[in-house]
Amino acid sequence: MVRAYKQEHVYCHPWDRVATASWRKFTDPDTPAVLSHVLDVHTLSRRLDASSGHLHTVRSITVRSPTLPFFLRRLVGGEAVVCHCIETSVVDPRSRSMDIVAVNASLRGLIEVEERSSYRPHPDNPEGWTIFRQETSIRCKPFRALAAVAEGLNNAALNGSNRIASRGASSLSGSVGTSRLSPPQTPQLPPFDALKMA
Amino acid sequence: MGLTKASPASICADLRSAYHDCFNRWFSEKFSKGYCDKEECVVEWEKYRDCLVQNLEEKHLRSILMKAEESSFASKATDDSERSFSHQ
Repeated sequence: MVRAYKQEHVYCHPWDRVATASWRKFTDPDTPAVLSHVLDVHTLSRRLDASSGHLHTVRSITVRSPTLPFFLRRLVGGEAVVCHCIETSVVDPRSRSMDIVAVNASLRGLIEVEERSSYRPHPDNPEGWTIFRQETSIRCKPFRALAAVAEGLNNAALNGSNRIASRGASSLSGSVGTSRLSPPQTPQLPPFDALKMA
Repeated sequence: MGLTKASPASICADLRSAYHDCFNRWFSEKFSKGYCDKEECVVEWEKYRDCLVQNLEEKHLRSILMKAEESSFASKATDDSERSFSHQ
C-alpha cells in the first residue's frame, strides 16, 4: 500500500540564495513556529569531493510525529512519538543543483516515508528564480490484523506530511525574504506558479 | 528501530552552532557561487563531530556518524541519489 504525491514551488529568488535558505531553515534560532515539529538537527557527515566540487552531507532530523491513531499509540507506548529521519544531500554549485533524499529511520517496521527534493534554476529565468520539486512516497506496512485500519493511517500520514511539506515551503519563502543577503527581486510569476502546493 | 528521547546530543549544541554559523557563511558567500575547490570550517566540524562521537546515543544515527569516515558510504549515497533523480 503506497501513497505518493508531488509538489512544485517557484521561489522568485536566485538559486544560491534559495539553497542557502534551505540549509538554514531548520537551524536558524529564529526558525518560525510552523516548523516546531523539528526537535533536533545534526550533521553526521560532510564531504567535499575535490574533483567534482560536489558537497555531500548526511544530517539527522528529529521530528515530533503527527498524532498517531490509538492502536499505534498502544503499540509504541506513548502519545508523543519522536522519529529520526536521515537526510542525504548532494549540492553541485557549478550546475546549480541541490538534491535531497530524506527517509525515516524510526518506525520502519510500520511505515516507510521517502521524500525526494530538488532545487534547480528555473528554466524561464535561471538567474532570478528557483524551482523546487518534491516527491513523497509513503508505504504503510500493516500487520494482518490491522490491515483494515491501516488505510486510515496511510491517509492520516499523507495529510499530515502534506501539511508539513506546505509549511516547509512557506517557511523557506520567509527565510529567503528575511535573509541578510541582497534584496529580493520582484519578477513576474511564471504561469505554473499556480501549481504550488494545494 | 525503536523510539528514543529527543536531543540525545544537546550537549553539543554550542559546537553545532559554531559549525553551522561557519558553514552557512561559507555556503552562502563562496560555495553556492561556484567557489568549491576548498573545504572550510574544518576545525569547527572536527570539534562538533568529536562531541557527537562522545555523546550521540541513538544507535542508528551513531552508526551513520561512525560509518561516515569510510568514504564508501558517502559515495554510495551519491550514486543512489544521482541515479534516482530523473526529473530535471
